[in-house]
Amino acid sequence: MKKILTLAVLTAALAACKKDQYYLYNDIARLQFGPPIAQLYYNLADMADTLKPYTFYYEPDAVGQDTVNFDIYAIGGTSGEDRPYELEQVMMEGEENAVAGVHYKAFSDVSLKNTYVIKAGEVHAYAPVIVLRDASLKNKTVKLQLRVKANGQFQPGEIRKLWRKMELTDRLSQPAAWNNSATQYYWGKYSRVKHSFMVEQTGEKWDQEFFNEINADYALISFWRLKLRTLLTDYNNAHPGEPLTDESGETVVFP
Amino acid sequence: MKRTYQSLAACCMLLLSACYKDHGNYTYDLPEEITITGIGSDYDKVSLVDRITLDPKVSSTDPQAEFSCWWGIYETNVQGSAPKVDTIGRSKALDYLVKQPAKGWVLVFGAKNLHTGFSKIVTARVNVITQFTRGWYVMKHTGGQTDVDLFLTPSGIIGEGKMENVFSLVNGRKLDGAARLFGYYTNYKSDVTGAMANTKGLFILTDKDVSVVNMNTFKEIRGFNSLFYETPATKRPGSISEGSSANYLVNDGRLHSIYSMSANVGMFGGVQLRDDNNSPYNLADYFLTLNYYNPFFFDQSSSSFVSATGTGTVLSSVSDATGSEMSANRNNKTLLFMGIVASSPYTGVALFKDKTDAGLKILSVITPENYTLKIVNDTLDAAEKLYNAQRYGLIVTDESILYFSVGNEVWSRNLANGAERLQFTVPAGEQITFIRHRKYTGTTSTELPYYFNYMLIGTESGGQYKVRVFRKTSGNLNASPDFVLEGQGSVGDVIYIAPSMSNYTYPNSY
Repeated sequence: MKKILTLAVLTAALAACKKDQYYLYNDIARLQFGPPIAQLYYNLADMADTLKPYTFYYEPDAVGQDTVNFDIYAIGGTSGEDRPYELEQVMMEGEENAVAGVHYKAFSDVSLKNTYVIKAGEVHAYAPVIVLRDASLKNKTVKLQLRVKANGQFQPGEIRKLWRKMELTDRLSQPAAWNNSATQYYWGKYSRVKHSFMVEQTGEKWDQEFFNEINADYALISFWRLKLRTLLTDYNNAHPGEPLTDESGETVVFP
Repeated sequence: MKRTYQSLAACCMLLLSACYKDHGNYTYDLPEEITITGIGSDYDKVSLVDRITLDPKVSSTDPQAEFSCWWGIYETNVQGSAPKVDTIGRSKALDYLVKQPAKGWVLVFGAKNLHTGFSKIVTARVNVITQFTRGWYVMKHTGGQTDVDLFLTPSGIIGEGKMENVFSLVNGRKLDGAARLFGYYTNYKSDVTGAMANTKGLFILTDKDVSVVNMNTFKEIRGFNSLFYETPATKRPGSISEGSSANYLVNDGRLHSIYSMSANVGMFGGVQLRDDNNSPYNLADYFLTLNYYNPFFFDQSSSSFVSATGTGTVLSSVSDATGSEMSANRNNKTLLFMGIVASSPYTGVALFKDKTDAGLKILSVITPENYTLKIVNDTLDAAEKLYNAQRYGLIVTDESILYFSVGNEVWSRNLANGAERLQFTVPAGEQITFIRHRKYTGTTSTELPYYFNYMLIGTESGGQYKVRVFRKTSGNLNASPDFVLEGQGSVGDVIYIAPSMSNYTYPNSY
């Protein structure tokens, strides 16, 4: 009886041994999103740009659409021919999802027929999302999650790199550079009231491009922190008992 | 029994596996030692004039040594990039015309034993200098404008030749206002060499303007209009100083800073807030600071001391240390003078006048610790000479003595016992415009002719200045000066500059 039990335990333990299914990327062509080319070999940027906020807020009224690009990479080498690829929208539960044809051009739109292609001899392309300035965006923010879809040319690559997200609005929106770190150390909690105050009081856009510019120089960040804190203090002094308050009722502060 | 034999056999088999022939290729030779002699540790060279001519001796403990040699040079103190070594020679002997711009460089010599593959590298500091990198600089004003004279010191500390008005000579303009204060910082950031790097920057402050020049060329790096991220509306510089890893510039009584421990472009930030309500404030020109310690300023509006950091947005409040005889806040005083007197412990001296009782003057010894101040007061009697002083100059970090002028007399006051002593009377007709202690000491043999410990007394008469340079003994001036610097105008400050000086050579003080 004891021998039978030992044999059973050993047999069961053997069942735990199996070969892991690693992709060696030497079988078929695969496709996945990635960081900007300049940051491709920078480990910490591996998951950069997974979320791109976009707002029409700064654009003239005549602008009805714009393009937001994501870096996409073919895995498994180049090809001598152009290779079309496909994207699809993933509906996010509990979120205001973007509507194809209303907030963005559907990936299958005929005008985009030859857009989603990895060119011959290349492994990188910009996957464009054509965003549309729908009137509803003046009052809300919609979200779009896109994902790589298998087709005759490509199978999906690494699971965690198959998707990208966008937040689309026509109001002021939190730039990607106003991230957790920037919130903690420089600008404090984001609110549209605070953001609007920054734009109106300084005459600067305080969009992604502006943040990228000042983030390159710590002294410049310090200058703007001090400037904003001074402007807010002066505003509150000019409105005794009525300090600047954001859309959720909290008093606006700069750390 | 059988089992015992089986066990012993098994053990023997296991032990047998421990027996193997050692095939190690051990060598008991001493490691090779390459010796390089004939290269010094420091060289001062004038760009496009001087050559580096060296032929070092290279030897090895390897009798079969055969060397391959090379020379290189690279820039020091760069920011945001790794310096590249430029190869300047591929033989043992070097005869190289120095072409690098004036600043600090490192000369590298490498010798590789081709027989063993071992290498040795030796480095030497090369200070690429110009005519501007050594001499006495005198900041003087005339006709409401300021310029700088340079007294050259080619062979010793006594000036042997003069270049007048070097600021306007190089930059094509004079600075507005009266001469006030020099500030010398070797970690000032600029891209004058093409890469953002520590630059030897000399700040020239007048009461209406400021300029920072590259010490190697005297070319202006930034003027008032390019020195701030947001140019202040009023040009009224009060002081330039360094403390707690930042540079501080007081303009129009308000504080601007550059945090020097992070990458920056040499521009000052906005006006630091007095408090969370952005209360108005007006800092005195005089300050108290020491290297990495907290700097202290005095707000004349609220009669309060404040401190600051390079990264803060609000001035730091200061509290009273145990045993302090006067509050650091709202003490109803006006600051007449303040400066550092000792570095260990960090100690300052300040002279106050009461805002209510204009006849009340107090001399205070200040000992800072973090953000607290211990203030020990000595109320001045109207009969004491210091009571009527007009110009001040502390013997900084040397002796506990304050120099001051009354009319055409220069007096000293022993801060330990209050004893006052007449030190010098300037000739009739001359007005004392400036008193300053400067000291430059060290152990570098090539600098020995330049080390000094002087009290400088500046006077003006008929539009001409004289700076009498006195040696002192036990805090007292020698009977006559070692030498006199003379020129046109009225002197505000004097500084001696040498290539090896750093921003810690002189304590920051008026």
